[in-house]
Amino acid sequence: MANLDSLFHGFVVALTMQHVMLMMVGVLLGILVGVLPGLGAPNGVTLLLPLTYTMDPVGAIILLTSMYWGALFGGSTTSILFNIPGEPSSVATTFDGHPMAKQGRAIQALSFAFLSAGFGAMVGVIVTTLLSGWVTSFALQFSSPEFFAVYFLAFASFVGLSAAQPSKTIVSILLGFAFATVGMDTISGSLRLTFGFDELLRGISFLIVVIGLFGIGELLLTMEEGLKFEGVRAKVSLAGVLETLVRMPRYWVALIRGSLIGVWMGITPGGPTAASFMSYGLAKRFSRRREHFGTGEPEGIIAPEAADHGAGTAAMLPMLALGIPGSATAAVMMGGLMIWGLNPGPMLFIERPDFVWGLIASMYIGNVVAVILVLATVPLFASILRIPFAIIGPLIVVVCFIGAWTVGASKPDLWLALIFGIVGYVFKKLDYPIAPLVLALVLGDKAEDAFRQSMLMSQGSLNIFFSNPLVGTITTLAIILVTWPFWAGLMRRVHLLRIRQPKVIE
Amino acid sequence: MDNERALISRASMEVATALVTGGVGAAVIWGAAEHDIGWGDSGPGSGYFPFRIGILIILASLTNLVLALRRRGFGNEVFVTNAQMRSVLAFGLPILGFVVLSLFLGLYVAAILYLAFVMIFQGGYRPLFAIGLAFAVAVAMRLIFPIWFKVPLLTGPIEALLGLY
Amino acid sequence: MIPKVINAQRALGFAASAAMALVLGTAPAFAQAEWKPTKPVEFVGAAGAGGGTDIFARAVQLAIQNNKLIDQPILVSNKGGGSGAETFVYVKAAEGDGHKLAFGTSNLYTLPMVAKVAFKHTDFMPVAAMVFDEFILWTKGDAPYNDYKSFTTAAKAASGPFKMAGALSKDTDQTLTRLIEKDTGAKFVYIPFKSGGEASVQLTGGHVQSHVNNPSESVGHWKAGQLKALCVFSKERMAEGPKVTPTQSWHDIPTCKEQGAGIEAYQMPRTVALPPGTPQATVDFWAGVLKKVTETPEWKDYLTRTAQTGRFMAGSNLKAFIDEDEKRTRKVYEEEGWLVN
Repeated sequence: MANLDSLFHGFVVALTMQHVMLMMVGVLLGILVGVLPGLGAPNGVTLLLPLTYTMDPVGAIILLTSMYWGALFGGSTTSILFNIPGEPSSVATTFDGHPMAKQGRAIQALSFAFLSAGFGAMVGVIVTTLLSGWVTSFALQFSSPEFFAVYFLAFASFVGLSAAQPSKTIVSILLGFAFATVGMDTISGSLRLTFGFDELLRGISFLIVVIGLFGIGELLLTMEEGLKFEGVRAKVSLAGVLETLVRMPRYWVALIRGSLIGVWMGITPGGPTAASFMSYGLAKRFSRRREHFGTGEPEGIIAPEAADHGAGTAAMLPMLALGIPGSATAAVMMGGLMIWGLNPGPMLFIERPDFVWGLIASMYIGNVVAVILVLATVPLFASILRIPFAIIGPLIVVVCFIGAWTVGASKPDLWLALIFGIVGYVFKKLDYPIAPLVLALVLGDKAEDAFRQSMLMSQGSLNIFFSNPLVGTITTLAIILVTWPFWAGLMRRVHLLRIRQPKVIE
Repeated sequence: MDNERALISRASMEVATALVTGGVGAAVIWGAAEHDIGWGDSGPGSGYFPFRIGILIILASLTNLVLALRRRGFGNEVFVTNAQMRSVLAFGLPILGFVVLSLFLGLYVAAILYLAFVMIFQGGYRPLFAIGLAFAVAVAMRLIFPIWFKVPLLTGPIEALLGLY
Repeated sequence: MIPKVINAQRALGFAASAAMALVLGTAPAFAQAEWKPTKPVEFVGAAGAGGGTDIFARAVQLAIQNNKLIDQPILVSNKGGGSGAETFVYVKAAEGDGHKLAFGTSNLYTLPMVAKVAFKHTDFMPVAAMVFDEFILWTKGDAPYNDYKSFTTAAKAASGPFKMAGALSKDTDQTLTRLIEKDTGAKFVYIPFKSGGEASVQLTGGHVQSHVNNPSESVGHWKAGQLKALCVFSKERMAEGPKVTPTQSWHDIPTCKEQGAGIEAYQMPRTVALPPGTPQATVDFWAGVLKKVTETPEWKDYLTRTAQTGRFMAGSNLKAFIDEDEKRTRKVYEEEGWLVN
């Protein structure tokens, strides 16, 4: 196995004292930027980039990727503790993570999240190592129709889940799609739905919407039950972390399914956001404890976290080999590669094997380092919830608005965050589901671009979505999932008929 | 005063929300109509999807409206009671004040005033403690954002006077 | 082994810069004493992170930082919303502030023509055009075409139209595609992607027949033999240098004109602009700094690595160039019916 040989060589490169130190620094800095919604991974990496100009490329990429892992973990932390997802990919973690933390089980929620994230990442790296050659050529088969089919599949596996009134779910999804179309249209190059406001040029930012809908909306809702200006009484100890570790294997199905979905979406590349929603959706659909989802069910944390990190790591390989960044953070890192004098592309593997395999090896070590460090911080973070609400509540508000400001340094964004906060409050009280809105907002414009690119390619014929076995399979799967309630109903009816039939004869 | 009395009924809030979402739908249609809303040789135009999304939003909002009006099934279900509304406003109005202050005085000053206000008047902390903590937060904001991570925050006239950026 | 290569490049850069200094004499003395940055400086890139504009801004940052050309730290951010319009709106709002520089391309003056945005290129104080990026006609590595003529003839004869991928809509790539169509009578279906990198992967995967990426956007795939460079849209061949692929250096790519194309040259300037109302002394200060940047080894390195053509313009030269290029582009856009302003 030539790959294992190269990997071994990579470990030799990555496992120096200096590199392990860089990993630890990177992870810790990453956690710091991850828990502050205003900073986040892209900002952190952007900031460190100039420092790396004088470093050797292997050390530099190790520092930046470790920061990225740390920030991903930090993002899950705020999702669970405060219901504020720092990255689109940790939205799905809020659904069960936050309820669990509110019940005083923050330690368990955080530990479940970090352990499954670490597991997902590990699966991602292993697949990357074993299949590096195949992954790239597979990714090359993806064009716009395949992209559209993948987004459609992610969407189909998530929607139709909520118990809400269908017309409310529809309004929610459509609002998300409508917000996604604001700003520059890639295909026609014209500005849409900006109504002449310069502030809307860049579109409606995901971060502002979730800060409002999730963060501020949740706070307002909490306040309704009176000014409970006291902290959540939670037992905070390292033992809770170990207990969770022991309980982890019980959820192996969700864990493995989540990781595989993540790896698949990372390679295809549908991305971590689509992966986490899809994984949550499928876990809920096929779980025996379906009705407990949304109330603090461990599977509801494990599924999206494993998928999120599985996708994040699996996406690194296509990025290096094709030169396509899978996320904003990855895009900044690619800029770094060019500055260090490396050209992302297939030749990178041949010209600089020390760099590529050093990076892959550092992903093994870095993720282990990250999981250990982040688990050690769990008691610290969980005890934040014990701070009286009269202090932590307004602090969260301040942090939320700092986050809203840093998105685009524009004043109207502060109003927008406040408005979305009120919308979030009203929607929750009236049982309008919020998650579909966020998913539609994140995937909407990508899906529309992919769809219209496909239509340009096929001159307006929808047959392109069945034009080869790959796209045909994904599209068919998506259609089956979207019509699942219908099939399930049909099967039930057939089943009932079968039972009744004999009785009729009698 | 009856704290459990309904300030706003669920039914009326349902109606109001449906009207607002319908209004958003109308705005989307209006904005989309500026663009090509047809499906040509090269597939859908740039207004094709927004236009139809707008129409569907209005249809779904109408459904919500009709359900809310007809069912009245929410019966006497309450959206917020007096007591709840008071709690929400007690928390929400300072946030509004914080946003307005930020626009004029910058995020630092607004954060200090807002934090001190909430901690003293709602949390019942000693003024010295609250003000000290509020300043500590502002210092942390300044260290973390513009100084360590080079992300400038909104500043106002007071920072300009002090020569800070 | 590898560090040696880098050192060699550095040394080459030093030699080149020394030679340049000899030819040009000492840089003109700008009135630097009058204005100096007093707080951290912001370089705002009018495109997404990791793209050509981002790397341009970072290369300038690197050169300034390593040679200590200014005393204040520099932050590079990217505001790519609205195809970069976000940057220009942001910088326009910072009236008179010499600490915010917009890094862009010709989009500084072409964007306001095709999108309803609240700025004109004349609002800004242009500082410099530092480098010109080339456009190359690329096809898949195993495609049966070897030059401009054979490719466009095949495109003309094809039963289904050829697909041309590119970055963004109504921008340089699509404009050049239209120019090729007018030149040859071939028809292409232009498919816009978010970046040149994405377009390049689509071509590598065989989903489209061609694109007109800048050299740096496709060099990785070219090296691997997945793409073939047919010709470059420039008056002269690109600078001589070491072989990039086993058989070719950038200089070995023929110009499209050599191959009989009617397009004289098509290049994209990389520009730096200051907010409206910035005092002339500040503009001069930055022009001086950027001029010095072009003399650093880091800059030479950047030019070599991204295969761009260095050409520094400032002051009245720059204004004249922008006016002329604006007029030429406007004509094309008018014919295509893209103009909105």
